[in-house]
Amino acid sequence: MSVSTYSERPAAKAGETDGFSVPWSRPRPKRAVVSGRLVSAVTILLLLAAWTAAASLELVSPVFLPSPAAVWAKFVVGARDGFVDATLLQHTLASLWRVFAALIVAILVGVPIGLAIGISRIGRGVFDPLLEFLRPIPPLAYLPLIIIWFGIGEPSKILVIAIAMLAPVALSTAAGVRGVSRERVDAARSLGATRAQVIRHVILPSALPSILTGLRIALGAGWSTLVAAELVAATRGLGFMIQSAAQFLVTDVVVMGILVIAIIAFALEFVIRRVERVLVPWAGRE
Amino acid sequence: MTHLILDKVSVHYDGQPAPAVERVSLDIAKGDFVVLVGRSGCGKTSLLNVAAGLVEPAGGLATVGGRPITGPGSDRAVVFQNDALFPWLTARENVAFALRLRGVSADKRARRADELLSLVKLGDAGDKRIWELSGGMRQRVGLARALAAEPEFLLLDEPLGALDALTRERMQTTLLDLWAAAQVGVLMVTHGIEEALVLATRIVVLAPGPGHVVRTFETHFGRRYAAGEPIRAIKADPAFAAARAELTGAIFEGEAA
Repeated sequence: MSVSTYSERPAAKAGETDGFSVPWSRPRPKRAVVSGRLVSAVTILLLLAAWTAAASLELVSPVFLPSPAAVWAKFVVGARDGFVDATLLQHTLASLWRVFAALIVAILVGVPIGLAIGISRIGRGVFDPLLEFLRPIPPLAYLPLIIIWFGIGEPSKILVIAIAMLAPVALSTAAGVRGVSRERVDAARSLGATRAQVIRHVILPSALPSILTGLRIALGAGWSTLVAAELVAATRGLGFMIQSAAQFLVTDVVVMGILVIAIIAFALEFVIRRVERVLVPWAGRE
Repeated sequence: MTHLILDKVSVHYDGQPAPAVERVSLDIAKGDFVVLVGRSGCGKTSLLNVAAGLVEPAGGLATVGGRPITGPGSDRAVVFQNDALFPWLTARENVAFALRLRGVSADKRARRADELLSLVKLGDAGDKRIWELSGGMRQRVGLARALAAEPEFLLLDEPLGALDALTRERMQTTLLDLWAAAQVGVLMVTHGIEEALVLATRIVVLAPGPGHVVRTFETHFGRRYAAGEPIRAIKADPAFAAARAELTGAIFEGEAA
């Protein structure tokens, strides 16, 4: 009996099963795999087509469902002449400013809270129940209290959004801090790091990927709170624009406002993912 | 001369019915290479953590240079099995970490880090990110980082445990080179019997239930390498094989074959 070496074995024929793949798994397709993006693009186009068709056949009244053309027209008019005393850009900037001011507040308050929850039992005992209490309350529920306490100015609007952002920022930070490897902290301590240096040089950078994820979630929460925030005596903002339009049944502006918010939120998500790749290139590669 | 001394140290973890280590004494002088071996659960790592100041002994006293050990300190730098490097820093910045903590200026610490990187034969890897390095290279960076703290003692917790056999063998000589160059005392935990023999000046065999010292061997193979004898020749020496058999016997003493 001869012993064959690996090199003497005939090369496996293309398409032949290799004996390792499970029998029900199909051989890898040769054609290019359909990309997820293409599927998404087609889905959006199909939805747009269905929307156009429904509107042009007048299956429903334009008050309920304005045509894409009407929405686009409103977009052009809004961008050029404005709607309720401000151009679309001004509305957008007003909203962006509120969301970002709120984000900064949420970071300034939420990251230290998350840190406290993550590194100290007392911090955890103090803040965990508070956050769990705050998290499920819908913004519209605490809106009246905020108005009574802080008035109807800009701070109230920012506060409403910031409260919605606080829990995701703090909880993600806490999760990141708790996930820091024990050995990393011990190594730093044995290299002479003080407690404060461990926090600054080891724990915070280790938690950064998780914190950034928290910011992404927080931005989503912020945008969904925007309309509620701009219920409070606003004169500008996308949420305010949508509400004013809704009161007069100007549905095409409502739809246009929704789309603008969606596009901005999508763009921000994209930007943050880019920032993540630059700031925490090690995430997922450790 | 500075000694790292564990005097009848016991370790008892919260919530555990029995102590992990009972009344173990060790005396490590600068220039010693002490290796702890023994079966799982014999308290090797617990003892190392006591020396590092990461675990407080339940009984006995741990001192370094006559002062009681109350916490971790840069006079006793630790290297762990998993490198515990900082992925947000380059290899050079990792090595320079201890110097940065002390406020050493940026170009001074970069120069020192580069020196140490060349010492571990990674002279050209300073700008590399941690995830671009192989396991062996990471451990070299970890060793260089520990040495940057200018410790009197290096505490190595299975530093080569996660490496493949060939890399491991090469790293053993690197460790001996560093030990000779840096003039430190080393306390190392390992599972490798041959590794212990190659490296140690003294091997302490521990047994579990609770961890205690069964035997102590003075060995000389590491010193022979440091004196210039090639590592292959040392391992081929019949005395090495004999020592290996004796050490293996001591480790598994009292255990059903």
